[in-house]
Amino acid sequence: MCYVAIEHITFRFAGGQPPVIDGLSLTMSRGEIVGILGASGSGKSTLLRLIAGLEMPESGSIAIDGRLMVDERTFLEPEQRGVGMVFQDYALFPNMTVAGNIVFGLHKLKKSVRQERLEQMLELVQMKEYARRYPHELSGGQQQRVALARALAPQPSVLLMDEPFSSLDAHLKAAIRSELRQILRKANITCLLVSHDQADIEAICDRALHINIRDEQDTPTKIR
Amino acid sequence: MKITLLPRSAGRHINGWTMTSVIGAAAVLLPILYVLAGLFRSPNENWDKVKQFLLTDYMLGSAKLVLFTGFFAALLGVSLAWLVAGYTFPLRNFYKWALVLPLAVPPYIAAYTYSSMTGYTGIIQATLRNRFGIVLPPGTIEIMSDRGAVFVLTLFLFPYVFMITRVFLERQSASFIENARLLGHKPLSVFFRVVLPLARPAIMAGFMLIVFEVLSDYGVANYFGVQTVSTAIFQTWFGMYDVQSAMRLAAWLMLGVISLFVLERWLRRSKRYSATTSRSNPFKPQQLRGVAAWGAAVFCTVIFVLAFLAPIAQLTAWSIQHGSTVWRSGFADLTVNTLKGAGIGTAIILLIALLSSRAARMFDSPLMQALARLMSAGYSVPGAIVAIGVLAVFLALDDRLAPLYKAMGKEEGALVLSLSLAMLIAGYVIRFLATGYGALEAGYEKMPRAYSEASRTLGRSSLATFLRVELPLIKGSLLSGFVLTFVEIVKELPLTLLLRPFNYDTLSTRAYQYAADERVFDAALPSLLLVLIGLVSVLFMLKAERK
Repeated sequence: MCYVAIEHITFRFAGGQPPVIDGLSLTMSRGEIVGILGASGSGKSTLLRLIAGLEMPESGSIAIDGRLMVDERTFLEPEQRGVGMVFQDYALFPNMTVAGNIVFGLHKLKKSVRQERLEQMLELVQMKEYARRYPHELSGGQQQRVALARALAPQPSVLLMDEPFSSLDAHLKAAIRSELRQILRKANITCLLVSHDQADIEAICDRALHINIRDEQDTPTKIR
Repeated sequence: MKITLLPRSAGRHINGWTMTSVIGAAAVLLPILYVLAGLFRSPNENWDKVKQFLLTDYMLGSAKLVLFTGFFAALLGVSLAWLVAGYTFPLRNFYKWALVLPLAVPPYIAAYTYSSMTGYTGIIQATLRNRFGIVLPPGTIEIMSDRGAVFVLTLFLFPYVFMITRVFLERQSASFIENARLLGHKPLSVFFRVVLPLARPAIMAGFMLIVFEVLSDYGVANYFGVQTVSTAIFQTWFGMYDVQSAMRLAAWLMLGVISLFVLERWLRRSKRYSATTSRSNPFKPQQLRGVAAWGAAVFCTVIFVLAFLAPIAQLTAWSIQHGSTVWRSGFADLTVNTLKGAGIGTAIILLIALLSSRAARMFDSPLMQALARLMSAGYSVPGAIVAIGVLAVFLALDDRLAPLYKAMGKEEGALVLSLSLAMLIAGYVIRFLATGYGALEAGYEKMPRAYSEASRTLGRSSLATFLRVELPLIKGSLLSGFVLTFVEIVKELPLTLLLRPFNYDTLSTRAYQYAADERVFDAALPSLLLVLIGLVSVLFMLKAERK
């Protein structure tokens, strides 16, 4: 049974332009960590934005856990989808502390539950002592962990990660890769991760997909 | 699951945000279109007279004022900007910002201050006569003329060119200018062959601001007896009570403004240089020595004294001598009126600007771009045109609402809306929406979209995202938008004169009337207050520019 079902998605930025994503289909099972590999401009970030509801596809459908997100007649707004996303440059709200960022998506929970969840998340990403810091007081790796905690806190059905390593120094990458893999495993989350670096994907994901620029090859092919 | 009858995308695009933008743009456009439509109505008899004997003079008057002021202000602005950006000399750091201060002085206030200072009993001639026994032949300094108007407008508007060009030179041009120097060019050659061509877009931007200000000017031209289209609109409206012909004049002026607007866009498109390197290192000025250094300092000082210090000192002196009489005559009422009008106007402007700048951000469609551009166009429309358009629309509204007024027990043909403060406020909103919109648009541009998107993926609605994430982050822009808009409204003269309700005076209208009635001493205190309020906005501009 597929947990995430993406069928024949087509997207273009403006009418008349060639589609960035043309008839793409993809399935994921629950708890699977899938990597998407492709050059810049191949539409891999766009795919994440389509799943999150930040862009609207021209045609095709997306369903998660049997719940229809988008098709020709339906469009669920991002806040109705229960999908978590870690942005490329993390997009931590600069006017809120680490704790404030993490509880931002927990507005529907009771205060005591919210506090408990915050503690869990800080524990998970090992950022307990930083709860009262502001994003600009953190290193790149710490910011990434906070962004991850913020996205995981509302217990999303799927976690989307857009180039999680692009804002990090090269020498930190290896350590942070294994750390990220551990956190994702511990959280037992279904995750779709996008990168242009094959090594990232190999270190973290169960399975990888190649997405190519349209005029080379139309459909993504599995490499593993 | 949400299934709507509308297509998915339409449902997403029609909402409160976009509707506000459409209404905002329509509000700006409607009175302006109304004025333009005047060209197609059949003219009355009076218009033939106006057209035959006066129109050419008015047009020439406006054109002359615009060209001469624009030329001299650009000359002054660019040379000062180059001096301050390219060289170090005594007091340079002070003049870097002090030369922007003249913008705080509304030109109409400068006009009557200068005309009294240079008059027979004014401080200049009196000092020469009493101290040195020199009697100037009459007409030696005749400021009540075309030349005087150009002089005053140049001195108090040049900072637009100065400020924009200086910032451009400091930020954009370092490597080009340094290279030109390394390649052996002398300062003058560097200026004409590198600085001037490079800075052309910046200079043009400042120049156009001045052109629109001059076209919009009523106070200076009227006080100095210079015939322009703007003063003619007033005369046909209040002198001949011929609103139709006034509207026709406004339509002609509007055509001129539109062609300038198009010309500017076209010029900018065909001549835009972009730096080939994105890395821009700060520009290191050259040290001036000896005579050159002192010459530069003296030049800046002369301009600063003429364009700021002297008129302010004079106004202060008059205020101290004659302030007590003004206090008695309802000064508090004036202040309250001024703050009330400006406060309500600014609040409405910021509300529309906030909602529509967000709509433009959310829906990056050609339609929204066009609406945004329309809303920013109001600033280039002279106050007199806005006024006459608003009046026409409000009269038509009153006409439509006549049955309702009758049902409410008012007499036949009652004017309700067009005699109310609402009309003035509407004029303010149309004229200055661009100021507020510009500030908020800039605020949104500085904020990465990912903040809003992150909030949405965390389960917050569009409204909650706006309130919890975006609003706190554009607080600064909101504040500067408030200050800039508020001050513009407080200073505005022609629009207020034309649209105010009976017996409704603001600081600017009262000051101007005192001056027009040869009671310049009584005008001093409200004028000084206006300058102080203006200073607040100039300081805000300077602060924003430093970021």
